[in-house]
Amino acid sequence: MLRLPSFTYRQPKTLKEALVMKADAGPHGMYVAGGTDLYPNMKRRQQDPKTVISLMGVPELRASDSRTVERSDGGTVLGTCLTLTELSDSPTVRRTHGAVADAAALVSTPLLRNMGTLGGNLCLDTRCNYYDQTYEWRKAIDFCMKKDGHICWVAPSSPRCWAVSSSDVAPVMVALGAEYLLAGPAGERVVPAARFYYNDGINYLTKQPDEILASVRLPPADGWDAVYHKLRRRGSFDFPVLGVAAWVRWQAGSGKREAGPVVAEARIVLGGVASWPQEVPEAGAALVGTDLSTEAIAAAAEAAYRPAKPLDNTDFDLSWRKQMTRVYVTRALEDLRQRHR
Amino acid sequence: MRLKHLVPPNSLTANWLRIGSMGLGACIEKVVRGSGWRDKFRKLPAGKGIGLACSSYITGAGLPIYWNAMPHSGVQLKCDRGGGVTVFCGSTEIGQGSDSILATIVAEVLGLDPCDVVVVTGDTDLTPVDLGSYSSRVTLMTGNAAIQAAERAREIIARHAARKLELPVERVTFAAARVFDAARPEHGLSFAEAVQLAEAAEGTVGTVGSYTPEPSAGTYRGAGVGPSPAYSYSACVAEVDVDVATGIVRVPKIWIAHDVGRAINAATVMGQIEGSVYMGLGEALMEEMAYRGNRNVVHKIPSLLEYKSPTTLEMCDVVTYVVEDPDPNGPFGAKECGQGPLLPVPPAVANAVYDAIGVRIDEVPITPEKVFKALKAKGKGEEGRVGPKTFPEIPWPEPTRVPPPWEGGDGKPVEGGKGRQRAAKAKAAKG
Repeated sequence: MLRLPSFTYRQPKTLKEALVMKADAGPHGMYVAGGTDLYPNMKRRQQDPKTVISLMGVPELRASDSRTVERSDGGTVLGTCLTLTELSDSPTVRRTHGAVADAAALVSTPLLRNMGTLGGNLCLDTRCNYYDQTYEWRKAIDFCMKKDGHICWVAPSSPRCWAVSSSDVAPVMVALGAEYLLAGPAGERVVPAARFYYNDGINYLTKQPDEILASVRLPPADGWDAVYHKLRRRGSFDFPVLGVAAWVRWQAGSGKREAGPVVAEARIVLGGVASWPQEVPEAGAALVGTDLSTEAIAAAAEAAYRPAKPLDNTDFDLSWRKQMTRVYVTRALEDLRQRHR
Repeated sequence: MRLKHLVPPNSLTANWLRIGSMGLGACIEKVVRGSGWRDKFRKLPAGKGIGLACSSYITGAGLPIYWNAMPHSGVQLKCDRGGGVTVFCGSTEIGQGSDSILATIVAEVLGLDPCDVVVVTGDTDLTPVDLGSYSSRVTLMTGNAAIQAAERAREIIARHAARKLELPVERVTFAAARVFDAARPEHGLSFAEAVQLAEAAEGTVGTVGSYTPEPSAGTYRGAGVGPSPAYSYSACVAEVDVDVATGIVRVPKIWIAHDVGRAINAATVMGQIEGSVYMGLGEALMEEMAYRGNRNVVHKIPSLLEYKSPTTLEMCDVVTYVVEDPDPNGPFGAKECGQGPLLPVPPAVANAVYDAIGVRIDEVPITPEKVFKALKAKGKGEEGRVGPKTFPEIPWPEPTRVPPPWEGGDGKPVEGGKGRQRAAKAKAAKG
């Protein structure tokens, strides 16, 4: 059995207190929410904080459905310490932002969703078959550049780390155009979801280590629709080897007349194929001005297939994973078309 | 065709394996009827398929893994004055239910309730040796050893009960925790009273039993591979649902029949069969030992996080048929059910995939990648087949010829390859 190393555990009661504790702990301090990502990683010595600061006692962040605030403009603000179960079960979120609830419901297992949080999933450490292993195993292969080593075992001549963004909720947030509120020692700042991530396996977040992802603002539900489709080996437990978040805004005023509704704007964001949620602008562009006809969907699927570059560091064969991009984008868009009818 | 190929019961196979009972025909009939095979095979809609496969398995190996002349299983049995019985055996209960087998068998021989039997197992300080929980051997081997120990205790107790009841010993019967006259059941003693009589006359009542399989019928070099006291049989029908766009195979339902000889504990037999289906499904669809040839052959899936087994969401519905064709070598006819029912599951799934989409996956696991690849190849007019293309190169030794039993002989080889060459030379010289 793998054991946790010893560490100091701190329980702030306010956001301000949390930031002070982090400042005290310095670079050896880390925040934790549900712990379903951090603690297994600590057991494998992928992260080794000396001080762990729990955010679960901070009321501003703390998960409960009352923290799901509907704003006057119709937008919704989610506390990042909502558990994934609370998020997927929330009637408000289900009604206004179903794709977010669906993605949350597809994370891991019921037990882990009861502990894991929205913020944790959005900040999920990037994953790789050479990295998510015990210390002894990693040592045996002489480590990798993401932790303790110098080489990328997936692509040994690569100067960068290719660990994979494996969040289910992040691609949906990017597709929806959600905004993240970060609280740091210097105050608060708002970052669009797409600007929160880097395509780098090591530095995969623009968030500074001392900043706290405090809340997520979802745009008002008006005239757009979104779905999330996930590929993994089993119906539970597994991280995505491919996630497809598809978002379309239907032309305002286009009813179901003979001319038919038309897509005004569209975004396709892929999870599990890069170190960040990978938006494919060409795929979205292929849908604009169409009624999600079969031809338009095929063009978008083809556009999404081309840049998807899965590497051999997750479950399944990489060429098959790339092929599946076409199938899963097609299915997500067919789903959107079906919902609109 | 499979029914026509059944080996007859109580026969010797071509390689001199001794067959006892043969319930495979009954197994095939059960799953074929239960699954509606005749209405479904080659008749299901595109992407859906049904497949059948059969298997046979040993009930323990005929020879011990560490070569020695001692029994494969030993049992000690102690009857106490209160009418309780304790059975000691080195067998290891790993959840398969072997303790219940010992209790049930001893209780059956002595006419007790299994609840009256205390079982002490797996502790080498206290118990005689049993070779272990492997090879599907425990029920048959410990069961036979337990029968011998219990029958010896019954003989001692019966002798003294017969004297007390003034009966010929053959009429002494053991049932319902009593020892009585078979002709007049009301004329008898409680089991505890009978044990007390025996103890008063002979001292404490303790017996031993052990089991060693019969030597194999074949005596040629290599005859030690495959002999078993008894062979179990299974037949399986699997239904699959194949997504042709992705190659993902789902198995909604499996029908399985297993000839266990005799179900000593029906609940654990069903559990073992269903557990085997689960393991077979994992083997068929996802479990794999994979290595990275391009990275110093490191394990591709070095932990159970990546070694995927089915979850409850992948587990199929299972219809289980327990077929009982008692084997002369089994305790009360019992054969194994711990590993055999696993075997037909992967080939049944592979056959069902072929029925569904016309491609052959010749190795496990039958992954979406392989199905997708085979479908692509078939789409291009190539052979829709994925797996090893040839049999591995093996430097075979000179063959040895052993006549099968129906050609006479005694299981010994006639001359090997050299002998045949000599015979051919001699014939040529004559001719």
